[in-house]
Amino acid sequence: MLLDTRKICKQFNGVYALKDVDFSIKEGEVHGLVGENGAGKSTLIKILTGVYSHDSGEIIWEGKSVQIDNPRQSKALGINVIHQDRQLIPSFNGVENAYLGLDYEKKPGGLVDWTKMKKNVNRVMKELGIQIDLSLPASLLSPPQQTLLEICRSMMTTCKLLILDEPTASLTDKETEILFEIINRLKKQGTSILYVTHRMEEVFRLTDRITILKNGQMAGTVNSKEMTKDKVISMMTDNWTSSNIVSNSKVGNVVLSVEHISSKDNIVKDASLKVHAGEILGIFGLGGSGRTELLESIYGFRPICEGNVIINGKNLTEVTPQKAIQNGIVLICEDRRGMALITSFSVRKNITLSVLPQYTRKGVLDEKKEVEDVKDKIKILNIKTNGSEQTVSELSGGNQQKVVFAKALESNPKVLLCDEPTQAVDVKTRYEIHKLLRTQADEGNAIIFVSSDLKEVLEVADSIQILSHGKTKDLFKNEGLTSEQVLKCCYAD
Amino acid sequence: MEKNKKIASVMKNYGTVVAGIVIIIIFSILKPQAFFTVSNLINITRQISLLVVIAIGATLVMSVDEFDLSVGALASLGGIIGAKMAVSGIPTILCICTPIVICFLIGLINGWIVTKFNVLSFITTLAMSTILAGFTFWLSGGATIFENVPKSFTYLGSASFLGLPLLSIIMILLTIVFWFIMKHTAFGRRLYAIGGNVMASKVSGINVVKNKNLAFAICGALSALTGVLLASRLGSAHPTGGDGYFLQSYAAAFIGRTVIKEGVPNIIGTFIGAAILGILANGLTIMQVPSYLQDVLTGCIIILSVVAQKIGSGEKQ
Repeated sequence: MLLDTRKICKQFNGVYALKDVDFSIKEGEVHGLVGENGAGKSTLIKILTGVYSHDSGEIIWEGKSVQIDNPRQSKALGINVIHQDRQLIPSFNGVENAYLGLDYEKKPGGLVDWTKMKKNVNRVMKELGIQIDLSLPASLLSPPQQTLLEICRSMMTTCKLLILDEPTASLTDKETEILFEIINRLKKQGTSILYVTHRMEEVFRLTDRITILKNGQMAGTVNSKEMTKDKVISMMTDNWTSSNIVSNSKVGNVVLSVEHISSKDNIVKDASLKVHAGEILGIFGLGGSGRTELLESIYGFRPICEGNVIINGKNLTEVTPQKAIQNGIVLICEDRRGMALITSFSVRKNITLSVLPQYTRKGVLDEKKEVEDVKDKIKILNIKTNGSEQTVSELSGGNQQKVVFAKALESNPKVLLCDEPTQAVDVKTRYEIHKLLRTQADEGNAIIFVSSDLKEVLEVADSIQILSHGKTKDLFKNEGLTSEQVLKCCYAD
Repeated sequence: MEKNKKIASVMKNYGTVVAGIVIIIIFSILKPQAFFTVSNLINITRQISLLVVIAIGATLVMSVDEFDLSVGALASLGGIIGAKMAVSGIPTILCICTPIVICFLIGLINGWIVTKFNVLSFITTLAMSTILAGFTFWLSGGATIFENVPKSFTYLGSASFLGLPLLSIIMILLTIVFWFIMKHTAFGRRLYAIGGNVMASKVSGINVVKNKNLAFAICGALSALTGVLLASRLGSAHPTGGDGYFLQSYAAAFIGRTVIKEGVPNIIGTFIGAAILGILANGLTIMQVPSYLQDVLTGCIIILSVVAQKIGSGEKQ
């Protein structure tokens, strides 16, 4: 075995991200790593590459127990990783990027020996069968060329294990083929490859063995040839069925209708959906399916080039956040500190920020009314703060999220777009947020609920819209729906 | 122990004000007859009045997390336009308003370039400053305008009301007005929101472009007013007359950030910052400290204030 992990555990805030993971990679094999969102794939990669340290357990590399405390040590062992988002310096040319983090070759006298360095990079490229113009800056290379340059960089030093994290996410089919060829060549040279992806057909095409993670634990390692896609998917999930939905509200008319919208950056492509009064519509998709981007497009925060957003029969031409708020749409952003809150502001100033005109007479703020209203909101939502004037950065994550909700409710929204509203909040707040959303739906509002946690979506939503590669796909009624059905739809290409 | 803690917390929250008071006490002890007199204190208010007006503009732009480095050049331009119009016999009110309107528009252009192309305001306004300097030079022919300046034009800069110079009164009024705007109006709240977090402001439906442009424009208008008042006070206008205010105004605004515990640009703080700079200059002159040493001291105080602000905000995180 090249790599063996023994009972690796990693906790974040008392929650296991990885628990007792025994995982192994053979020399010269292509090993697939699959699992639902949040199953622990990224955590495992980060432990192997020294970004995180593990709490307990042992890593055995080529038969010896090793300590990986930082990325440098991991590299020294021969582990290289290529991330989904590329790690090249855009203004550097091929040789400079390939030598990033390595010592430059020197001529006697201390000058950099560019000719020798270029020769070395060319040699590695030739071995791999890669052709890139090394004189171009990385910014002028196409996405696959950039990936290839990164692979080339990994191979500049002895690389025994190459980790590829969703390498085909931004590649076209043809470009993917080029990448696969290189992977096969690397395998022949004896380099092991850990291939992490959501794309099932690639896993079956490339890999010798597949490891499936589920909720941070090993669901098993299987030989690719003896498996089918459906079997792997069923191993990934507990086959959780919704049970505790209390959907006593009657679903009314369509409140929000999104028709064939595409974002200018082409992440959202031709997405359509409808939400009714009293309904919680869950949107589920795998990582990179464009969930956040879809919500931002509906809200007018991400520029769209096509399609319509219609609220209560009124077409919002050229939606902007301002127009969206005025027409009763609010967005609860995933990035709480970066996009939802002004952390240097007080609770009061955050809550009233998007509805300042309501508190303004001839430009002057009615701060008395502000304080009163905010006090009410603090009480209703049970926000733990020492008053409306406390700075938001001093609140806990859960209470910050409640402030975000208080701010959203200030504008009396008819449609709530919630992007991962329970991310990084405590269990109690999570429950309170679920209850709040249901109350809002019962009052006749329409809710869109996005979460990468499928179990949570099945718990909360009345119906589930599948999103894949920026496109809306099947729409399920959440009645006796199983997580396996949902995942199968996500993985169907 | 308890007492020490209390002193530490007072110093942290009001350190700048305390430092200002200490400076006043030192000068009062050293030069009681010359420094701490009613006439000298009134004199100081007049000396800082122009700095306060221009620094309020700089503070507005700083509150949206941008910089307008063209304030000095705008003041020079404003002064030259005003004086030139006055010399050619145009009514005084127009001589004051025209440069303000022109510089308001130039401020809008500054803002438009910054927001439209998403470029650094630092370099944009620096370049604008160069353009304006060239333009001012051309307009004035490079010479000081001082001949035939009518009395009506110099009235604002030299007259007093109830023993207070008009300039000081203008300064106090503008400080109060802009303090109110920044603290108690939706516009001020939006400016601070943009400075606090642009993304969150956009998500909250705030028109970031419009508000930033307005901040730049008001800054331009206040800079021009400063230039006109300077020309009125001196009875002459020099093509680089306002340039010196550029660094001073940012010094005042940066010292001002340390006055309040949130550490954001604010009007009262800027006023106190300008006052500290003015008192220092006044006191040191009375003590006959050579002006080059005054420059050294002023520079040191600015560095101290930004370091103090960084340490203060670092402790919060």
